[in-house]
Amino acid sequence: MTTYALFLGCTIPARQPHYELSARKALTKLGIELVDLENMTCCAPPPLQSIDLETSLAIAAYNICLAEEADLNIVTLCTGCFESLAMTNTLLKEKEELRERVNKILSNVGKEFKGNKEVRHYLQVLTKDIGVDRLKRSVVKPLNKLKVASFSGCHLLRPSALLRFDDPERPRIFDTLIEALGAKSIWYRNKLRCCGGLLRGYADDVALAIARDKIVNATDAGVDCISTLCPFCFLTLDLGQMLIKSSYKEEYNMPIVHYAELLSLSLGVEPKELALDFHKIKIDKVLEKLG
Amino acid sequence: MTAKRGSSKRSKGKVKALEEAKIGVFLSDCGGQLSKILDFEALANFAKTVQGVALVARGSEFWRGQGLKTIVDAVKNKKVNRVVVAESVPKISEIAIAKAVEEAGLNSNLLEVLDLKDHCAWPHRDAPKEATEKAKAMLLAAIERAKLSEPIGKLEFPAVKSVLVIGGGIAGMQAAEDLADIGFEVYLVEKEPFLGGLAARAVRFFPTDDCAICIQSPASDLKTVTHTSRKCVYRSGFSEIPNLNVLTNSKIVKVEGVPGNYKVTVEKKPRYVNEKKCVGCNLCTTVCPVEVPDEYNAELKTRKAIYINTPLVYPPVYAIDAKACKFTECAKCVKVCPTNAIELNQKTEHITLNVGSIIVATGFREYDPSVIKEYHYGEYPDVITHLELARMLDAFGPTNGMIVRPSDRKPAKRIVFVQCVGSRDRRWNPYCSSICCMISLKHATLIKSAYPDADVTICYIDIRTTGREHEYYYEKAREMGIKFVKGRPTEILHDPATNTLVVDVEDELLRKFLELEADLVVLASAMVPAEDAKELAQILGLELDQDGFFKEYNAKLRPTETKHRGIFLCGGATFPKDAPTTSLHAHSAAVKAAKFLTNGKIIKDQKTAVVNEDYCGDCEFCPVTCPYGAISLVQKDKEHFVAKVDDLLCEGCGVCVGTCPVGAIELRHLKPSQISAQMKALLSVNGTSKPLILAISCSECGHAAIDSSGMAMMQYPANVRVLKVPCTGIVQVQQILEAFKAGAQGVMVVGCKPDGCHYEVGSQKTKVKVELAKKLLKECGIEPERLEMFNLVYIEGDKFAEAARTMTERVEKLGTLQLA
Amino acid sequence: MMAQEKTSATDFAKEITSRLGGETITYCYQCGTCASSCPVAKTTERYNPRQIIRLALLGLRQDVISGDAIWLCASCYNCQERCPQKVEIADVIYALRNIAIREGNIPNIYAEFAAGMTSEGRIVPISKFLEKKRGDYGLPPLKPAGVDAAKKILSATGFDKIMFKKGESQ
Repeated sequence: MTTYALFLGCTIPARQPHYELSARKALTKLGIELVDLENMTCCAPPPLQSIDLETSLAIAAYNICLAEEADLNIVTLCTGCFESLAMTNTLLKEKEELRERVNKILSNVGKEFKGNKEVRHYLQVLTKDIGVDRLKRSVVKPLNKLKVASFSGCHLLRPSALLRFDDPERPRIFDTLIEALGAKSIWYRNKLRCCGGLLRGYADDVALAIARDKIVNATDAGVDCISTLCPFCFLTLDLGQMLIKSSYKEEYNMPIVHYAELLSLSLGVEPKELALDFHKIKIDKVLEKLG
Repeated sequence: MTAKRGSSKRSKGKVKALEEAKIGVFLSDCGGQLSKILDFEALANFAKTVQGVALVARGSEFWRGQGLKTIVDAVKNKKVNRVVVAESVPKISEIAIAKAVEEAGLNSNLLEVLDLKDHCAWPHRDAPKEATEKAKAMLLAAIERAKLSEPIGKLEFPAVKSVLVIGGGIAGMQAAEDLADIGFEVYLVEKEPFLGGLAARAVRFFPTDDCAICIQSPASDLKTVTHTSRKCVYRSGFSEIPNLNVLTNSKIVKVEGVPGNYKVTVEKKPRYVNEKKCVGCNLCTTVCPVEVPDEYNAELKTRKAIYINTPLVYPPVYAIDAKACKFTECAKCVKVCPTNAIELNQKTEHITLNVGSIIVATGFREYDPSVIKEYHYGEYPDVITHLELARMLDAFGPTNGMIVRPSDRKPAKRIVFVQCVGSRDRRWNPYCSSICCMISLKHATLIKSAYPDADVTICYIDIRTTGREHEYYYEKAREMGIKFVKGRPTEILHDPATNTLVVDVEDELLRKFLELEADLVVLASAMVPAEDAKELAQILGLELDQDGFFKEYNAKLRPTETKHRGIFLCGGATFPKDAPTTSLHAHSAAVKAAKFLTNGKIIKDQKTAVVNEDYCGDCEFCPVTCPYGAISLVQKDKEHFVAKVDDLLCEGCGVCVGTCPVGAIELRHLKPSQISAQMKALLSVNGTSKPLILAISCSECGHAAIDSSGMAMMQYPANVRVLKVPCTGIVQVQQILEAFKAGAQGVMVVGCKPDGCHYEVGSQKTKVKVELAKKLLKECGIEPERLEMFNLVYIEGDKFAEAARTMTERVEKLGTLQLA
Repeated sequence: MMAQEKTSATDFAKEITSRLGGETITYCYQCGTCASSCPVAKTTERYNPRQIIRLALLGLRQDVISGDAIWLCASCYNCQERCPQKVEIADVIYALRNIAIREGNIPNIYAEFAAGMTSEGRIVPISKFLEKKRGDYGLPPLKPAGVDAAKKILSATGFDKIMFKKGESQ
């Protein structure tokens, strides 16, 4: 039984229980045990890094220490959490001076970063612990006719010097995992470009323009849905379409579906168990294409 | 190594009995200039009191004229067997005196010349009495050193008048030709079947846009100036140049030996075509059934397994691609060849060459930009590099001079150049490749000349046109309507619907984002070292710089030399360069490679290190330390190895001496006993109001700095006494302690800058030793501030004077050192 | 033209390079790759990462830290991936924001994040309502956050002493 400490972050419990639900169900079905540790905090994503980088490193390191003490590797759902924790993990493992600096701060809470655990995104659990072949064999309802625009978001891949998840210019892992479910991953313009999500709250008009661009490109490619990994991307593209409707007077009705949801569905979980009402854009088109 | 340590029995001092010294002391007052400051009568009288001095003479100059005759007579009449001369500007005067005494029958190592002008009178002219006292000490030191000197003979080594040139591009060809003309036997080794390197593919060179293979070799009667006609490779009958042996399909596998006498093993792969029989009729290619992509022509066309690159190539002999050919299974070409030139049973040969020097001319190659994934090279066929474009521009090339899109062979009308691809890029090659701006301008202007309606844009970060006429070339480009966008593209996109490339770039000057549509995108890819540079560097024992290029010994003074005296570099192998610079470099390397071989022998003073085999414990420190690889371990008996010095490679620096933990190695020209004797002598006479300071100085930058301070009459106190050694690396920690014991109140060590030591490593090693010595001094209750190292260059004479003054003040403040 | 306090280019560069994230700013040779890689720069003229770095290296400190531009980076890191001089552009922007906030230039939204962090150890508070509903969806109850630990860390780094004034920039 492979066990991980599940790191939920803030946005998923706060706004996207459907992501957490589908991820827990899918991973459990595949034989992964998820442990919820106490005392975790925010992962210290870009908004916190913008305020103070040193604090962010310390907060992220603190969370990693909790996993080290429990002797568990961390798995995240949100790619923002992945970026913050994995980047911190690698930086502190490789830069002695930085590690000493952070450990000095952590001593105030009785913790010490040792660097003996990994931070993984759940896609890495699928590729490394389960393997694409076993995943394929576990699929009971293949998504055979589904055309998916894969959108991993920025922070699964970049900064690649620290995250080392996949080739940042030619990523293949996410697309391979989508196709393992029987669906087809379709190329669309500016596939790897940001959704603009982090600008929301400061420059909503710019954020919306960038999000709209993604919806338009996916629509032009003729896909059935956009599959996301990041809760921010989800909000920006899903809720975003409501804002596009009011600002641009355009309706695209492009379903936005987390990969964990596609995974759960293809593993046989019933749609009604997945709290799908959290989708602003209904995903009936996707459900119809279940095998 | 499990060999036993050498015997620890030490013989006390004397190695063998020296003849009794009869020293002649000759004091020059420089036409009366020095005697205004120094009391020469006192000096002469002092000299007379020193034991072993047989003769003291005064004069106004001793390095020529009557003065020199006095010395020569004294030698001839056997009045003296050692000569000590106080003369100015020893770097000139010593040579003249040494020549004269040798001719008179006295070995020149038995001569000591000291400089009372720049090292005494002039820097201490404000304190003449003290200067005189210092002069006494200096004189005494020279005398004591001379007493212990022994004759050093000259050695002869073979110098084979033959040169190996590795690399048959334009650099190698030019150097090879120069040397063949001078009369040396030259072996030009090229790994490809044909000569010409990059130039042959590039076709035209900027800024003249004429033939790249032009190397202007004189033909026919080489001795007659009137007959010298300047012909290019094609017209020169390169194969008929006497003494020039061209070995193609060949590479170097082993090199052994020393400068003047190298043994080189060359592996020559078979061409399968007899060079003497092939007439280049081309019949073989018409019957060959195998077709492969033509790599030489950027795979824009195919070629057969038997092929020639272009009609203009040298040697004009076909070659068989062993990977593609079906050999005896087919052999159609054999049947058809009218001169029976094809020999499918040719084998790889190993050829041994005996050469006196080696020139590395392996050039550079174009970087493969596939790793820069955002530019999609290798993925989009219409994204190409300069070399590939050059093949298209070649009228003899795969597209007959037409610029086409590789994807559909349609003419390319909109062409975008991208500069600095893989250059000036910390991710790939951080340096600037130097010639790509000019290459892009060349290609852009050639295209615009042929197709005035073509839409040509160059995206750049900077335009670098630094050579002669290069700026006019840039002007011409602008006049022709070529567009320049200041901005580095982030990505090259492809629109499958229209099969158009789109270059995504910010025009910084317009402050607008552009999406440039292109039929063809040309990447100015970086110029990187030859593929086998690393392997060759290992075989030759050469260093590569941080970018993988061969490192020249000193970029400003010795641009074609390496730390091995018999191996030279030229052309793109050291850094990308254009044709004129390559020429300069190649001709320069030819001269250097020939210079030391012209007499057929190398004559060298045996001013080298020598090992006392009884003491040597084969600890391996010295072979590892020697920067010239001059020391090796040889088996003495069953269990015992000892160090052995190669007299030809040894540079006589003494770094080994400073490294040996048991004193088993010493320099013939400066023995430890001589260092001690000089030290004691310099510190035996004070006569100043200040504490004595010993300054151990290397004879390179360190001594040059001291010279220059004196020449400029910069004043420093006369209590500073200079002991000259070849390299500060010779200094052992215990010698520093010995100096204090001998009466020094302070010790200065003066050497070259750490990254500029003339003996590579000495200065850096000494720095470590000085730090260690400071620790030991502290342990002994001596203030470590009494010891200091100074790293200076010749033009820093002022810094030496300042250092001398500072040390004196410091030591005065610390008070007199009382040693038990 | 507003009168500005002049900062020497060397001083501002030193200020930036001595901060976490800002170490590589001086590598920049203004090639413009970052600008054309940037989704925000392609969408609005308010933002151009190359320009921000240029202003900073010219010492125009006030323009940079009281300006609107530095808040428009979406942290997508595309610039940092493509930069041929390995300038850590996105991290430099963080460093500039860190400086700006310490001088009282903080957009409202960030002040809210800071407040959330200081009080609950989360930048986005989780509503009690939603927390209760978790059971309805079949989700296990949320484990308590390490608020005390977070507060101690914020105190140790001096985060809690930064004055989060709602600043001039909107």
